[in-house]
Amino acid sequence: MSAMIESDKPPRAAPDRPAGGLRAMLSMSPLAAIMAAVLILLMLPAVIYLVQSSFYETKFDGSFGAFTFRHYVELFTNDRFLKNLVNATIYASGSAAVAIFLGVVQAWIVERTNTPGRSFVLIISIISLGVPSVLYTISFLFLLGKTGPLNQLLMWMTGSATPVFNIYSLWGMIVIEGIEFAPLSFLLLSSVFRSNDAAFEEASMMSGAGIVTTFRRITLRLALPGVLALLILIFIRAFESFETPALVGRPGGVNVLTTDIYAAIQVEIPANYGQAGAFSVMLLLIVVVLLYWYGQLSRHAEKFQTITGKGFRPRVMDLGRWRWLTAGILVLMFFVIIGFPVGIVFWVSLVPYYDGVHMAALKLMSFAHYGTVFTSNMFQGSLANTLILGAASASIVAPFTALCAWFAVRRQKGGAVLDQLASLPLIFPAIVMGVAYLQVFLHMPILYGTLLAIIIASSVRYLPYGMRYSYAGILQIHKELEEASALSGARQATTFLRIVMPLVAPAMVTCWLFVFLVAVKAVSVPILLAGPNSQVVAVTIFDLWQNGVIGELSAMGIIWTLMMTTVSVGFSLLARRYGLNVR
Amino acid sequence: MLEVRDLFKQYTTADGTPGGGVFGATFDIREGELFTLLGPSGCGKTTTLRSIAGLEKPEGGRIALAGTPIYDAGLRLNVPMYERDIGMVFQSYAIWPHMTVFENAAYPLTVGKKRMGGKEMRDKVMGVLDLVGLKAFAERPAPQLSGGQLQRLALARALCREPALLLLDEPLSNLDAQLREQMRAELKRLQKETGVTAIYVTHDQSEALAISDRIAVMKDGLIMQLGAPREIYGRPTSEFVAQFIGRTNLLHGRLDADTPEGATARLETAIGPVVCTFPAAVKASPRMGIVIRPENVAIARAGSPAAGALPAENRFEGRVRSETFLGEIAEYEIDIAGQAILVRARPDTEVRPGDAAVVAFPIAQTLALIED
Repeated sequence: MSAMIESDKPPRAAPDRPAGGLRAMLSMSPLAAIMAAVLILLMLPAVIYLVQSSFYETKFDGSFGAFTFRHYVELFTNDRFLKNLVNATIYASGSAAVAIFLGVVQAWIVERTNTPGRSFVLIISIISLGVPSVLYTISFLFLLGKTGPLNQLLMWMTGSATPVFNIYSLWGMIVIEGIEFAPLSFLLLSSVFRSNDAAFEEASMMSGAGIVTTFRRITLRLALPGVLALLILIFIRAFESFETPALVGRPGGVNVLTTDIYAAIQVEIPANYGQAGAFSVMLLLIVVVLLYWYGQLSRHAEKFQTITGKGFRPRVMDLGRWRWLTAGILVLMFFVIIGFPVGIVFWVSLVPYYDGVHMAALKLMSFAHYGTVFTSNMFQGSLANTLILGAASASIVAPFTALCAWFAVRRQKGGAVLDQLASLPLIFPAIVMGVAYLQVFLHMPILYGTLLAIIIASSVRYLPYGMRYSYAGILQIHKELEEASALSGARQATTFLRIVMPLVAPAMVTCWLFVFLVAVKAVSVPILLAGPNSQVVAVTIFDLWQNGVIGELSAMGIIWTLMMTTVSVGFSLLARRYGLNVR
Repeated sequence: MLEVRDLFKQYTTADGTPGGGVFGATFDIREGELFTLLGPSGCGKTTTLRSIAGLEKPEGGRIALAGTPIYDAGLRLNVPMYERDIGMVFQSYAIWPHMTVFENAAYPLTVGKKRMGGKEMRDKVMGVLDLVGLKAFAERPAPQLSGGQLQRLALARALCREPALLLLDEPLSNLDAQLREQMRAELKRLQKETGVTAIYVTHDQSEALAISDRIAVMKDGLIMQLGAPREIYGRPTSEFVAQFIGRTNLLHGRLDADTPEGATARLETAIGPVVCTFPAAVKASPRMGIVIRPENVAIARAGSPAAGALPAENRFEGRVRSETFLGEIAEYEIDIAGQAILVRARPDTEVRPGDAAVVAFPIAQTLALIED
C-alpha cells in the first residue's frame, strides 16, 4: 500500500466564501459541524470550571462561593510554589538527560553498528508499552529501596550496617523517571539517527575532514535539532508526570507541582479545590509555553531530516570484535529497563513478605498471592472496569478521530478546525485534566465517581494520540481511490462504507489498540475521578502500595503486565505491518 | 456530444497568491472521437478534465453532456459526480487494493443508477475484462497485478458502466517507455472498438499526436490551438505551439503590410530575406514569427551537385556546427549568419561538421505565425 501514499500536494482551491471563524463553521458539512460542537461541548466546560475554581471559594457541597484572588496570592506569597517549581525543573531536566543518554547509546548501537542481535531491542519497547507506569515505579522501589538487592549488595561490599543510598530523593526520582522514558527516547532517536544519510558524512571525509571533525561538524550538527526537540519533549512529559513524584518524591519530602495538586484534593481535608485550580492553571500555562517551544524546534528538526539525497542509506559501522561489547551493553540495558523491574515484581509476587533477594526466601515461595488476587472481588472489579475503560475509550477515539482525520486530510470544510480541536487536549497535563473534569463532574452529580466519567475524560485525553494514527492511516489512502468510486456512480456514504472503511481498517485497529494500551495504564485522571465502584487496575496498584500490600500488588501487576504485553505485541505487529510507527 | 463554454477556475497557492487554473476554455467534442488536452504542467488541462468529471467545482462557464447541462455557473447548477454519466481512468489507476480484479471492474455496476445483478452483471464484467485481456485474472487480488495490467483494469472499470464519456488523466505516465507505446496503441484500438467518446489528458506531445483525433493545446489556462494532429503539427499558429509540438526553427522578421490568407511575402530576418506562406490573413507587425520544421529543410554540401539542384529561393549558405546520428535520421546544426538552424536529413547525407553547407526552405512549408 506504500505506493498509494500521497506525495504531491496540489495548490488548494480558493474557497467559495472567505474562510474565517464563524463563516467557515457555518459552511461546513452538518457532520463536521456536529463533531466540532461535540468536541467543544466536551472540552470547554472543563476549562471554564478549572479557571473558575481557581478564582472562587469552593463551598462544602462543591458549588462556587465568592470571587477571590486568594489562591493566586497564596501561590506567590508562599515559597512552597517556587520551591516545588525548582524541584520539578531539576527533576524534569535530570530525567530528560538520563533518558537521552540511555536513548542515544541504544539508538547508536542499533541503527549505526553491526552489533549482533540488535533488532531484539524492539522487545523493550513492546513490553514497556504494556507496563503501567505506577507498577514500573514501584518495581524500582523494590530494586533500589532500603532492602532492595542493590543496597544489600553495596552494604555487603562496603561493610556498612545501614543502607548505602536513599532512593526516596530527588536523584532517585530522576533515575527512575529517566529509565522509564528510555524506550521512548530510543524510539525517537532511532529515527533521528536513521535519517542521517551516510553521504553527508562521506562528503565531509572526502573534503579532507577526519572522523572526529566529521562527527563534530556534520553528524552532531545534523542530529542536534532532533535531540534538542526530544530533550524538551521528555522534559515536558516528566514535568507533568505524577506517578514517580507521588511514589518516590512525596515519601522523601520532595514535592513537585503535580503532587501538590494531588495533595490539595486527595490528602487535605476538606479538599482545597481553589489551590488545586490555581496550581493547575499555572502548570497548564508553563506546559503551553514549553509545547510551543517544542513545536518550533521539532519543525526545525524535521527540516533537517528531510534533506536526504537519493540512494539514501545510513552508515552501518563494522565494530569488529568490539561488537560483542556493544551487544553486552544492549543486554545490560534490557535487564535494567525491563528484565530487573519485571523480575523483582515477579519475585515479590511469589514470596510471603519481601525482605530483599536472598536464598532463604526461595523455600517460602508460592503462588499464594495469585490465589488471593484471583478470588478477590476488588481485583475482579477493577480488572473489569479497566478493560471496559480501555475498550470504551478506544472505541470512541478510533472512529471519531478517523472521521476528523478524513475531514482534515481531504481538506474538507471544517477539517482544519476539527484537527485543531482534536489535538487540543495535548496541552493539558494529565493531572490538570483530572482536576478540570473533577470540577465538571462535581457539578454533574449523576456522573460523579462513575466509570462513565473516567471514560469521557480518558476519551478526550487520548484524542490527540488517536488523531496521529488516524491521520497517518487516512494519508495512506490515495485521494483518487475515493474519486474513482464517486465516478463509478457511488454516493459519498457508499464510498465511505465500501472504499474508505475497508482501507483504513488496519490503521483503525492499530489506533484502537494504542489508545486501549495508554488508557489502561494511566493513573492521574482516574485517581481523581474514580469512585468506590469505578476503581481501575493502575489506581488499585497505587492504593495497594500506599497500604503496603505489596504481595498482592505484585501478583496483580504480573497478571496485568502479561495481559497487556499480549495486546502490545498485537499492536506492534500491526503497526509494523502497515507502516504506522508514529508516536 | 460535450460542450464546454468559458470554463473558469482559479487556484490560490498556500501563500495566497493566484496559482494556476483555467481561464475561459471553450470547445466541443464530437461523438466517438478521442480528444486530447495537451500542455505543460500547470496549463489547466487537468483542471478542465476534473471540472468535467465533477471532481472540481469551476467558478464560471458551463458544461453540457449529450445536450444536458451538468454544470452552469449562471444557473448555479452542479450535477454531483456520481450522477454524471462519465467514466474515468486515473493517473495512479486508483485500483482498490482490497478487492479482486472482478470486484474492481464490477463496482460501478453495484452502486449508483446503473446497478445490475447476477448473471447479467457477470457476463457484462467478464465481457469487458475479456476486451482488455484480463479475463484469466478475474479472481486475482488486485495488488498482484503488474503496472500494465492495473492500467487495463482501470480502463475496464471505467468502461463497464458504458459511460457517455470516458476521461483519461495521463493514463500512461506511470508505465515504462516500451509498455507505454504498446498501451498507447491498445488504448486507441479499444476506444475505436467500443466507440466511446474520450478525453485524454497528457503532457507528452508525441503521445498526443499518435493517439488523438483532435488536440487542444493549452497554456496558462487558455486553449492556444485546436485541431487534428497533422494540422497542429503542420500549421502551428503560435510560437508556443510550434515549439511545444515537435522541434522547430524559429525566425523573426518585419511585416510591413497586412497580408491576406494564402499569400506569400518576403521578410527580412537575421539570416537574410525569407519568403514565407501565410496560412491565414495577418496584420502588419514589427516582429513576425516564421517557423520551419527541421525535416522540411533541404541540405547539401556546398559545391556538390545536390547543392546545385536546390532552388534559388530561400537558399542560404552556412557552416555545419555539429552532427548527431540518431539511427534512422541525422540531425545537423548549421550556423547561418550566427543563427543556429536545425536540419533533419537522411543519415547518408554527405555533410560533416566543419563543412560549408547549403540549405533551402520550401516556401509552402515556411510558415508565418498568425498569432503572437
